[in-house]
Amino acid sequence: MSDRTTAADRPQKPTPRPSPESTPYWDAAAQHKLRVQKCNACGQHWFPPSQRCPHCTAADFTWAEVSGRGKVFSFVVFHRVYHPAFEGEVPYVVALVELAEGPRLLTNIVGISSDEVRCDMAVKVLFADVAAGVAVPKFTPA
Amino acid sequence: MNIAPSTAFRDKCAIVGIGNSRLGKVPGVSSLDLLVEAMVNALDDAGLKTSDIDGLICRGPDDAYGHHQLIGARLGINANISTTMDNGGASQILSIAMAVMAIEAGLATTVLCGYGRDAWSRTHATEEARVRNETRPASQRPREFGPEYGYFGAVAAHAFGAQRHMHLYGTTRDHFAEIAVAFREHALRNPQAQMKKPLTKAEYHEARLIVSPFGLFDCSLRSDAAGAVIVTSRDRAKDMKQPPVPIKGFGSFNNLRGWFMDDNMVVTAAKKSGETAYKMAGLGPQDVDTAQLYDCFTYMVLTQLEDYGFCKKGEGGDFVASGALKLGGRLPTNTSGGQLSESHAEGMLQIVEGARQMRHGYGADRQVKDAEIALISGHGGNQVCHSTLILGRA
Repeated sequence: MSDRTTAADRPQKPTPRPSPESTPYWDAAAQHKLRVQKCNACGQHWFPPSQRCPHCTAADFTWAEVSGRGKVFSFVVFHRVYHPAFEGEVPYVVALVELAEGPRLLTNIVGISSDEVRCDMAVKVLFADVAAGVAVPKFTPA
Repeated sequence: MNIAPSTAFRDKCAIVGIGNSRLGKVPGVSSLDLLVEAMVNALDDAGLKTSDIDGLICRGPDDAYGHHQLIGARLGINANISTTMDNGGASQILSIAMAVMAIEAGLATTVLCGYGRDAWSRTHATEEARVRNETRPASQRPREFGPEYGYFGAVAAHAFGAQRHMHLYGTTRDHFAEIAVAFREHALRNPQAQMKKPLTKAEYHEARLIVSPFGLFDCSLRSDAAGAVIVTSRDRAKDMKQPPVPIKGFGSFNNLRGWFMDDNMVVTAAKKSGETAYKMAGLGPQDVDTAQLYDCFTYMVLTQLEDYGFCKKGEGGDFVASGALKLGGRLPTNTSGGQLSESHAEGMLQIVEGARQMRHGYGADRQVKDAEIALISGHGGNQVCHSTLILGRA
């Protein structure tokens, strides 16, 4: 039966559903740029998006492009399928990457076997185009 | 901020009624009805009637809006103080802390606390529910920064902490196995436990991986389960049916900046919550005879043993490998089987078991011999909320 299944029938991976606060992040990602909020008062970066700096509560910020470099703070390997669209993907790595600028992002580590990923490993960003006008940042060994 | 927990609350109130519902797979019974079952059992245990209750603090599934009102209506209770808690698995101990504070403030005299869920039925209602294994309502699940990466569920969230701990301290899955096996041995002595079969370390290692470093037996159970306790002043407790279990101290801490921030996944909020509770009780980890820890996952037991000072940070692996957690060991822990093997009611059954141990009502096979002090923990709410309860011997 599976050979008759069309792409439209197959379960689709969830795509990000941006909030008003996160729209600039996803707009930048669509252009393969990694931008996070940077406080114009205290100079610190933050993520996930919110309208005030969680370090100093200032509301004055810039969407700043960051280096895209960081390290794996921790990671897990999904063996169980929680969503049918990921059935062909297991085992896959979900990591918490700490950017050089400080914020930590949930992401996938790609371009390396799941059993070779390590905590504190250096990684750099790349972008996966997942739908028309939608790209998600992922990371690969630097 | 340094706080000074008031020792004025020490030993002022007591648990005088204890109850639980049927545990495990209880199809066709709502979470509310399970909790009512546990609460009626607690009332019977205490020899009290619903008309004796003037406080109701409880919690159920996240989509039960105004939960305490639904329970009050079913039991026919009006209350001087009532509310629904919102700290995840840390809520249940916090409800007891609030009960003590309300009683000491003169706002209530006798407070009924409880938690009930229908998580087994909910995650087995349809094939889709089984695959997703999700108890949160859809409106409360993330819409970005997770699902697009295939990141779902509480197993993965806690597995991040386990992985980081393994990296920093050389902790291994064999250490996690020690915890799963110890609690299963306890469950086999508990006729109400959901899990009935023995578990060996070999079986732990052979089981399928879920989200590594966690495999099947690192994960707690999906249960239909409820528990309840009744709190009153020790003065009132004197004339009641059961020997009162004194509440010696409690504490709470919440790493609201987030589980993924700072070092919160390896030094949990249990550390500061425990310090507060120890200060209130005038006790330390060396005084604790049995621990009933929030075991949503094996790793959470290991890190809490460190955070509560039963061993140093990073030495939890050696501590559990010594056999300390087993009945007869140095610190018998989760003596009913815990959420890994008895049933998962978000920490409520840990409170129930801690209080039963302090009554010394069990036979020799289940009773922690000569136990004078029980420490109980609650953890939850996106992994950042924690609460601690210390009970004394009845």
